[in-house]
Amino acid sequence: MRAVLWAFCGLLLVFLIAPILVVMVTSLNDSQYMEFPPRTWSLRWYANFFGSAQWTGPALLSVRVALVVSVCATVLGTLAAVGIVRGRFRGRQALEMFLISPMIVPIVVMALGLFFLFSAVHLLDSPVALTLGHTVVATPLVIVLVRAGLRASDPALELAARSLGANAWRTLIYVTLPAIRPSLAAAAVFAFLVSFDEVVVAIFVGGPASTTLPKRMWETIRFEIDPTLTAVSSLLTLVAVFVLVVAAVVRRPGKRGAGLTV
Amino acid sequence: MAAIPGRRFPRPWRSGEGLLVLPALLFYLAVYLYPLSRIAAWSLFERGFTLKFYRELLDEPMYFRALGNTLEISFLSTALCLLLGYPLAYLMATTSARARSALMVLVLIPFWTSILVRTFAWMVILGNNGMVNRTLMALGLTGAPVKLLFNMLGVQIGMVHVLLPFMVFPLFAVMSGIDPNILRVARSLGAAPRRAFRHVFLPLSLPGIAAGCVLVFLLAVGFYVTPALLGGPGQITLATMIEMQINTFLNWGFAASLGIVLLLVVGGIFAAFSTLLGIGRLTGEA
Amino acid sequence: MNRRTVLKSSAALLAAPFLHIRPVRADKGELVVVSWGGDYDTAIRDLAVPAFQKNTGYTVKMDAPPENAKVKAMVQSGNVGWDVILTDIPAVLTLTKDTLLEPLDYGAIDKAKLDKIPKELQQPYAIGQRIYSFNIVYNTNALPKPKHPRDWAEVWDQKHFPGGRTFNFQGGIEPQLEVALLADGVPVDKLYPLDIERAWKMFDKLRPLVSKWYTSHAQAIQLIGADEASVGCTIGPRGITAKHAGAPIDVDYNQGKLASDNWCLVKGVRDKKIAMEFINQALDPKVQAGIAQRVPYGPSNGGAFEFLSASEAADLNTSPDNIKEQFWQNVQWWSTPGADGKTPREAQAERFAKWMVAG
Repeated sequence: MRAVLWAFCGLLLVFLIAPILVVMVTSLNDSQYMEFPPRTWSLRWYANFFGSAQWTGPALLSVRVALVVSVCATVLGTLAAVGIVRGRFRGRQALEMFLISPMIVPIVVMALGLFFLFSAVHLLDSPVALTLGHTVVATPLVIVLVRAGLRASDPALELAARSLGANAWRTLIYVTLPAIRPSLAAAAVFAFLVSFDEVVVAIFVGGPASTTLPKRMWETIRFEIDPTLTAVSSLLTLVAVFVLVVAAVVRRPGKRGAGLTV
Repeated sequence: MAAIPGRRFPRPWRSGEGLLVLPALLFYLAVYLYPLSRIAAWSLFERGFTLKFYRELLDEPMYFRALGNTLEISFLSTALCLLLGYPLAYLMATTSARARSALMVLVLIPFWTSILVRTFAWMVILGNNGMVNRTLMALGLTGAPVKLLFNMLGVQIGMVHVLLPFMVFPLFAVMSGIDPNILRVARSLGAAPRRAFRHVFLPLSLPGIAAGCVLVFLLAVGFYVTPALLGGPGQITLATMIEMQINTFLNWGFAASLGIVLLLVVGGIFAAFSTLLGIGRLTGEA
Repeated sequence: MNRRTVLKSSAALLAAPFLHIRPVRADKGELVVVSWGGDYDTAIRDLAVPAFQKNTGYTVKMDAPPENAKVKAMVQSGNVGWDVILTDIPAVLTLTKDTLLEPLDYGAIDKAKLDKIPKELQQPYAIGQRIYSFNIVYNTNALPKPKHPRDWAEVWDQKHFPGGRTFNFQGGIEPQLEVALLADGVPVDKLYPLDIERAWKMFDKLRPLVSKWYTSHAQAIQLIGADEASVGCTIGPRGITAKHAGAPIDVDYNQGKLASDNWCLVKGVRDKKIAMEFINQALDPKVQAGIAQRVPYGPSNGGAFEFLSASEAADLNTSPDNIKEQFWQNVQWWSTPGADGKTPREAQAERFAKWMVAG
């Protein structure tokens, strides 16, 4: 049974990874024309990426914006989710729907609305505008994820903490949140990714002074695909894998729910 | 508990905790509700109040077809992600820490590749002259190339590929909170493994299923690049139409009405599901 | 490094991009030019900007892409961050209809340059900069030269020219009615006014041949290069670029449809005189020749060919030899409103979407 499960997941992983392997091999192409497998090999697209502020600048900006978005969305979304799941007040369901609704608003519509908002407060073409805009897009994801974690975790622990004299804040920080750590981690990662990948808001509220990596990648799309994209994609994948592996090794995951021994 | 003098017995859920929603709410009011209501107004006003955009929309079957396509694509993606993601999340939750980290890293890999080059890669793998078709033909399994792209199959392949993590992670997060002893207890009480899974593990993982399905479905509704690049005429989505009205025709009032309809329909589906299936109750809400 | 310094320095790192909140409008002495990114932008920056900078003392900042919606949002909100945009005819028509463009000042362009630019390309709100064309672009492995389709009738003929087809269907594009009519045998000089119903009958015939309706010209090249489609109708100059890069792709210019990407001024442009000077520099024949050497779109200024070799000219869609085989899209016809107030461009694009979704 277990072997079947592993086999199934193995196939699934092949499905997930195969296209990226193709992209990685293609990125070593020497030609302007993307070809697989390459006829001539070179690192010129990597050189192109590192050698040009047109690429490295946006890459750095994207990372920074995504990090801040990840923090902001995770904090806002987590608090909101705790409030919704643990709070008791009228209209919670409606409020929850409202808080998740940005996910349903077509992104072009959202981007256009944000343009007028930031235009009114003179924030267009600034990283602040990008960060605020992306935080709206990312917070609903955090809420959905954290809410699931909270619903699955046992409120008895919080009850116990409170009855032992911990105040609401301490209970939240030392009991509630540690119990849903996997959900929080997933939420933070997704918030980062949503911002890092987002292009439509970036095109509308960004500009020459605040060009993100996806915006840079999309600029040429109508007419050509710059093979530098294959190098960028490969680099990002490698860096992400590296960071995640290091994080996993450093954290040395001990027993599950170590902070839970109340 | 009585040992703590002078303290009221604290209720676990106090109305005060509801206040934690406030920061997000204030943020939404400024950065979401204000711009959104401005756009919603475009759908109702053009030199005075008008319903002409909605009338125009209701008169034109094309938009219902596009809405239908959108929902069909999204439901299918959600179902596929659940079907494929559940076993993977289960494996992640029940395997060693090292294997789990490795799986997590691998599941997130598709994210870092731009959709633009990902489409290229799918063509290399699944195209008429792609690896899969060439292998099938070499093995004599098929005479002519099988059409794997530029239809619903292509769209689903492209979408599931990126949406899978949004199913796997909530599932995993919830599953990893399930005490493995519960399963052991169930089995020691005589439940067959399959029964123990069905009656104990599966219900406990429901919050994860609900969260994963919500995320995947809502994200899928908003996808328009993948269906456009990997789909055929049967996969033209409402998001594409909205994009076209906004960017190409500058017909913002009409685009806004399309957006509002999409919001209402998807919101309605959402509400219907949570009432019908009682997701709230199932997921342990008191 | 202890935890506190790590926290502090990471906080500083995160805050860094937020310390300089940019003004919405570019600083004085700066012109914002918006185009489609990539090599063409680089060429503009390298070849047209230096002379402009010398003459005016202004610097040029480039942005992309020139989305119609963003132009409208800028004009509506009064925060016009763009000055000059390079965009295609459909966009020009839409933007003009919504009065989002500033009329050009033809007096600011050197007479010698205007004399060498076709009159069709000199419109009140737009002047042609580079010529694109919808051409027969084919895979040279699937349909080796000279046994490739040489006219649109042959593109419609799958029996003698096997393989899938690819045509464009992207957000709000109008269908290639001219191409369909040519395929049906209408002579080029009898095209306009277009026989719309006849063209749609040809589209009905085309539908089963199409393996993918492409959504960007970049995708068209990928499809043809990978032989997902053996031949298609896409931007010829993109096909030439792919050919030069070693792709199994070539272009037949016969019966191609010519149209222009144009310089336009966004309504509310800060300094019209400066912006016109930039356009004036970009229309310089030597500059345009240099750009065409890097990115093979036809220069709008015919004088550019004096600076191009015969072999360089052979690949360009506006070279004297190639331009003879092609025709200009009749912008007038596409933009004259019908009885219902809709232009053919709007009406046909809508019909195209309906036709597609219904399929």
